Amino acid sequence: MLAPLSWIKDYVNIKSDIKSLIERLGEVGLGTESIEKTKDGDTILDLEITPNRPDCLSILGIAREVAAIGNTKIKYPSLKTDLKPQKSAKILPLKIHTNFDINPRLTGIIINNVTVKDSPEWLKEKLEKLGQKPINNIVDITNFVMYELGNPIHSFDYHKITGHEMWIKQSLGGEKFESVDGISYHLPKGAIILEDQEKIFDLIGIKGGKNSGTYKDTKCVFITVEVDDPVLIRKASQALSLRSDASAIFERNVNRGGTIDALKRTVDLILENAGGEIASELYDLKKENFEPWKLSLRLDRLNKLLGIEILEKKVLEILTSLNLSPKLQNGKVECTIPTYRNDLKLEEDLIEEVARIYGYSNFPQNLPEGEIPINTIPYFKNYKIDEKVKNLLISSGFSEIYTYSLVSENDLLDAGINSEQNLRVDTPVSREFEYLRPDLKINLRKALIQNRMISPKINLFELGKIYSGKNLDEAVERYNLAGITNSKNFFEVKGILERIYKNLGIEDNPMNSIELIDEGVYFEIDYSYVLEKLKPVKSFISVPKFPPIVEDMAILAPSNVSTGGIIKTIKKQSSLISEISLLDKYEETRTFHVVYQSRERNLKNEEIGEIREKILKALKKEHGARLKE
Amino acid sequence: MENKLLTIKNNALSLIFDAKEKKELEEIKLQFLGRSGELTTALKGLAKLTADEKPKIGKVANEVKNIIEDAIRQKESELKNTKPVLQKIDVTEPGIKPEIGHLHPMSITLFEMVDIFKKIGFQAADGPDIETDHYNFEILNMHKNHPARDTQQSLYLDTRNSKTNPGEILLRTHGSNMQGRIMEKAKPPIRAIYPGKAFRYEQVDASHGFEFWQLEGLAVGTDITMTNLFGTMSYIVKEFFGQETKVKFVCHNFPFVEPGAEAYMSCTVCKGKGCSFCKHSGWVEILGCGMIHPNVLKSVGYDPEKVSGFAWGMGLSRMVTLRYQMDDLRLLTNPDLRILEQF
Repeated sequence: MLAPLSWIKDYVNIKSDIKSLIERLGEVGLGTESIEKTKDGDTILDLEITPNRPDCLSILGIAREVAAIGNTKIKYPSLKTDLKPQKSAKILPLKIHTNFDINPRLTGIIINNVTVKDSPEWLKEKLEKLGQKPINNIVDITNFVMYELGNPIHSFDYHKITGHEMWIKQSLGGEKFESVDGISYHLPKGAIILEDQEKIFDLIGIKGGKNSGTYKDTKCVFITVEVDDPVLIRKASQALSLRSDASAIFERNVNRGGTIDALKRTVDLILENAGGEIASELYDLKKENFEPWKLSLRLDRLNKLLGIEILEKKVLEILTSLNLSPKLQNGKVECTIPTYRNDLKLEEDLIEEVARIYGYSNFPQNLPEGEIPINTIPYFKNYKIDEKVKNLLISSGFSEIYTYSLVSENDLLDAGINSEQNLRVDTPVSREFEYLRPDLKINLRKALIQNRMISPKINLFELGKIYSGKNLDEAVERYNLAGITNSKNFFEVKGILERIYKNLGIEDNPMNSIELIDEGVYFEIDYSYVLEKLKPVKSFISVPKFPPIVEDMAILAPSNVSTGGIIKTIKKQSSLISEISLLDKYEETRTFHVVYQSRERNLKNEEIGEIREKILKALKKEHGARLKE
Repeated sequence: MENKLLTIKNNALSLIFDAKEKKELEEIKLQFLGRSGELTTALKGLAKLTADEKPKIGKVANEVKNIIEDAIRQKESELKNTKPVLQKIDVTEPGIKPEIGHLHPMSITLFEMVDIFKKIGFQAADGPDIETDHYNFEILNMHKNHPARDTQQSLYLDTRNSKTNPGEILLRTHGSNMQGRIMEKAKPPIRAIYPGKAFRYEQVDASHGFEFWQLEGLAVGTDITMTNLFGTMSYIVKEFFGQETKVKFVCHNFPFVEPGAEAYMSCTVCKGKGCSFCKHSGWVEILGCGMIHPNVLKSVGYDPEKVSGFAWGMGLSRMVTLRYQMDDLRLLTNPDLRILEQF
């Protein structure tokens, strides 16, 4: 929201310098996004208005905040007209049919015999400072009053309302509508529209129609100030990608009690600048009276929630500065909330009002006291495990990457995955990021390829979520741990994973998680499973007291016999075999290092001899292997 | 003969004296005292001497032998006590780096944050990315017609071939989905943090992403106050960015807190003087926070009259870029080794 300081000063005295004003406004919730100095010495602030404060989408609303922080009074613009036709005036007919569900309030009046012309300089200047192009006096006045008071106002050419009868209703969808700036739209279903006997002539709350606007030849205007359903306005404005300053106010809840004042202000300015006379009674069709409401605040609750003691006097002073008319009784303050403060509904809302004007920077800061929760919380995650696993991978030469969870259809195609059976975002940001990744391989492969020109040795890993399931009912998300390398071989990768498993106390064999791919070696393990299986605490096994017997066996075996198979066969021949490893491999000979160990006694050469015989027998039987002479 | 022995002694002593390492000494030992060493050979000649020469020369020979042996022993212990001399290598050459990889700055930051919070009693939790409308919005006081729930701002999932109705399941738009999930299942007091990914319908630029990492958390109990919120957030920021960092709070609106606030910290680049990184304000926005809205407390079955709490959400990605003064969030998802190897 653009706010020229000169305009704010029309309603409130600013005591502080600009810098501290901006600082204080920021603290109470009106952050300044940018500052512009104009040639005439004015300063225009671009303020960020949070969605709960539509009242601050007006200069008067901002002035009220300035008055509250400076604890000064606001000067409201004086209103002259009593919105009644002069006795001599001719009364013009107009029949309005509305629906309070979509249009809770319509306030309006007809002014006849106006002279449409250029606006006076002061008015043009005001609008230009907000970046608005002046059009003519009537339109400019409606815009000016909207920016001043925060209620959107519209002016229709009375004579263009066919039959002088109008209906407020919702569009069926597909109707054509040409806006005042000459753009044609096909209306979505459910937009709030104004129709006469022949045509749609207004897209309420968003844009006026070309066929009912106020132009040079307009002589008689119907001025309306409305309250419309915020959700319907927002939906229509989104469907049409058409936003206006008026729709922004309506979407956030307009001041429902402010229509009469806004109409008075508009009529005053029209009579003053365009002449004419009131030519109808006041129309004020309303669902209810929209009066201020009561809201109370307990002082003890205020202090308990904030954690500081704000003096009673100070609380009352703050609430008064916000026009909340506080009345104190038995430790309870009863406030009367003006209709422009739709955001004040609960006691906590009032607590925020006191807190923000008191100033967050005036709060002491302290850590929570009391009991430290010691029960393990739901959804607990032990990040120490992640840290350990990642550190093991890093010490093995792998670098960590973080990638997006969303991938493209092409990515899936490249990986040979059917996109029809993959979880998909209905409203993707782009085709590039449309599907939830079913594995980590897609991004790791891309990462390796991207790095080829940078480094000859590439070892990367990621610990992240994968999302599986053919459709949403079957959707499962799990953590996977995956890595890719173009410089380590299968056994090096296997060894690294074996080391990780051993450190975590997991008995599985990582072999099946490793594959050879065009780019090198790739592994992907189900990390969620690892977290379920791990035994983080190891128990110590005492160092054996008796010496082991060690021997190397050169075995001649057909090449189709797996080393794992041989090791398994050897291992199961005796419980005294504590360790077997492959020492060497040359042509058909594989040399195994076998360690025999008893925890109870010294082993004798004879018993080892017997085991050896058993081993050789079994190897011959199971694998057709024999000892090399 | 006597001269010969003395020459041997002198030669041996000067060689021993010059010896620089053990190996050299061994060679000298062999050269003189070995089976065919100079002294051994000379001593063999003793046999040829006359009877009156023998005792005299024999004595000299023994002395020479003892002197050489002593000298060797002495040199041996000398060499043992001196460090090898590094004169043959150029110590200014670069060291050989072990081939170890690099932890991503996001992990470095995350692990550090988890530790900082742990110190003041906050446990870490983890929850789903694929979330229901209920936990992502409804329970957080963002009802059906809340603007944040528009499809234009969230990534809803395709419901084809499933029993789910469109608009029911989405990728969580914030880590706050864990607020309801945790509070529902636990009794106060609770102190929790929940780092994780969040997804939004945003066009990507230097400071926005459709996927980004957040670190959110909450504290609930019977006496949690707004000053606790400010104290905790200041503590975290100062622990992470340094004690000299300044933190300020301003009022802000989020549907799931009341009162609400936003925290700013002094710019890490210019230390608050104003630079392009902080848009010349000296401050950078770091997190949103507030006292948990009474409607949220009610929706998880708590009595807002009895318990209160604070909650916050900070961009983990943003913490990383602020700490390392990176000017683009996209650097964090770029797997370029030239980026990764800096950490």
